[in-house]
Amino acid sequence: MNITVNGDELEVRSPGLTSLLRVLRDELDVVGPKAGCEAGGCGACTVLVDGAPRRSCLTAVAAIDGAEVTTVEGLGAADDLSPVQQAFVHYYAAQCGFCTPGMVVAATHYLDSGGSDDRKEIQEALRGHVCRCTGYVKIIEAVAAARGGNFDLTTTAEGGYTTVMTGDAK
Amino acid sequence: MKAVGARLPRYDGVGHVTGQTTYVDDFRVHGMLWAKALRSPVHHAAITKLDTSRAEAVPGVHAVVTHTDVPQLEYGHLSGLGIPADEPLLAKDEVRYMGQPIALVAAEDLEAATAGVAAIEIEYEERPTLWDVREAFDSDAAVVHRWGNWYPHFEDEMDRRQIRKGDIQKAFEDADHIIQGVYRPAAIEHVPMETQVSMVVPESDGRLTIHSCTQAMYFSLGVISAHLQVPLNKLKIVGGTVGGGFGGKVDTASETITALAAMKAGRPVKWRWTREEEFLASSTRAPWHMEIIDAVTSDGWILGRKMLTLHDSGAYARFSPYGLTKHSFHHTGAYTIPHLHFDGYVVFTNRVPTTAMRGFGVTSVSFAVETHMSRIVDELGLDPYEFRLKNANRIHDTSPNRISYTDPSTVDVLQSIAGATGHDLAPAYAAATREPREGEWLPDHLVDQISTEGH
Repeated sequence: MNITVNGDELEVRSPGLTSLLRVLRDELDVVGPKAGCEAGGCGACTVLVDGAPRRSCLTAVAAIDGAEVTTVEGLGAADDLSPVQQAFVHYYAAQCGFCTPGMVVAATHYLDSGGSDDRKEIQEALRGHVCRCTGYVKIIEAVAAARGGNFDLTTTAEGGYTTVMTGDAK
Repeated sequence: MKAVGARLPRYDGVGHVTGQTTYVDDFRVHGMLWAKALRSPVHHAAITKLDTSRAEAVPGVHAVVTHTDVPQLEYGHLSGLGIPADEPLLAKDEVRYMGQPIALVAAEDLEAATAGVAAIEIEYEERPTLWDVREAFDSDAAVVHRWGNWYPHFEDEMDRRQIRKGDIQKAFEDADHIIQGVYRPAAIEHVPMETQVSMVVPESDGRLTIHSCTQAMYFSLGVISAHLQVPLNKLKIVGGTVGGGFGGKVDTASETITALAAMKAGRPVKWRWTREEEFLASSTRAPWHMEIIDAVTSDGWILGRKMLTLHDSGAYARFSPYGLTKHSFHHTGAYTIPHLHFDGYVVFTNRVPTTAMRGFGVTSVSFAVETHMSRIVDELGLDPYEFRLKNANRIHDTSPNRISYTDPSTVDVLQSIAGATGHDLAPAYAAATREPREGEWLPDHLVDQISTEGH
């Protein structure tokens, strides 16, 4: 079997009924997707399979032979954050960070599919993604802001500001 | 002061959103074994047979550890404070909660480890169980702990955390109303997104490197060192990234047993709990049973409080004596009551051991106290803000354990809430401050409790 992960075409040697999550983490060393419950209940393992969000813990790898898989690592890098990633940082939408890989992937799909900044619609889109730290408000704020692209990447401190991505004080 | 008032980004925010933050389960090392635990399938039983020889012969299994492998089987979470130990690292001749670890199997992969667990021969003789803290005090209650049904080792070997202040009998003689209530908040599971996990690597220099999701690294070091009888300078603990804890990762849940397996196998071992194990066997916030009886005057002064607290410690003591002590110091809430009679017990049941969760010991009593304040308001037809403001802590009032308050904020907080909710306060209450009591704020019954002596 072969799957393309974040642009790299890779051969899969695990048995076909191995979950995509186990293949990614244990065989291919792509550890962004997290094992929160491995029962489809928490959303932390969510990845895009041919553009659609899937619980990788419930997806047998044989069922997606030949597919394109995008994990949180494929959405942006520290020096090239996507709008959703920037907004999650800016709005403190990640606290412990363990649910964040799934949240970011789901939010990205929601916005790429034309989702609005309506709070209720965002809430609906992220249904099934469990966060125990932030209480969801900041996550929803971040997704709404990423839609509008209207969040300020700089902050004011005694007349200066701090960059979001590097933490440099100016 | 550049940070005050500034919107500073999280130092780990970018790592979180790009999937680059490394949690314990994200570490992989060469030669790493996976571990699986044999956990008790029953709530309370004698272990009448435990034979791991077949498990050791399962292909791929490298080590099976049980109580016989632990240098110091019992070490209490509060042993450093002189509190006796009651909990074995791995169950020996009895199990007292479902999910209690009995053995850990380390193998080439999880499938082999699971097969190893299945091959362990074990037999149980079930015993009666106890579930509710209140029932622990019934004469026909099952006895579920070798110390009896409640913790007997407070100072001077008292069986309760006791507070006596003022003259409780006079308070009840002087009262116009006696108002009582019982408050019973339930257990809460922390449900961190990251389940309990640890990875221990035996290094070539004889040290152990312990990757841990603990919230309390130095505390865990002491616990691991004591159980394994390994000096601290042979242990290196790596932590710092916790996938949610909320108090539930203060107990040293997995590291010590993983280390034991790594030492026995001579290989790195990772033990990651499933979500089912997390729900079954990880500690929870405790259930509590709290009875409050207050002596109150018709115009809304609380003269005295009798309180009985039963704290559900679960099967073992762990931090509960500490949690109950904090609870006792806060049993008047944000209010000053001069005459007190408090008895608190750490009660054993066959539930999973309970632990810290966001305000250990205090959230329960805050719930009980505020609900009771509302009960008094309802029964006497008082104004809810003015009743609270009247009894609110002021500078030089003293806590149940006779700490003189230097800067209590109760008055300000209540006035702010009244303002924010559009509740009009009578002029005297709107003008109240946190300053020391005088005039109408200093009735005779509050004179003797005042102290200006520091902490």
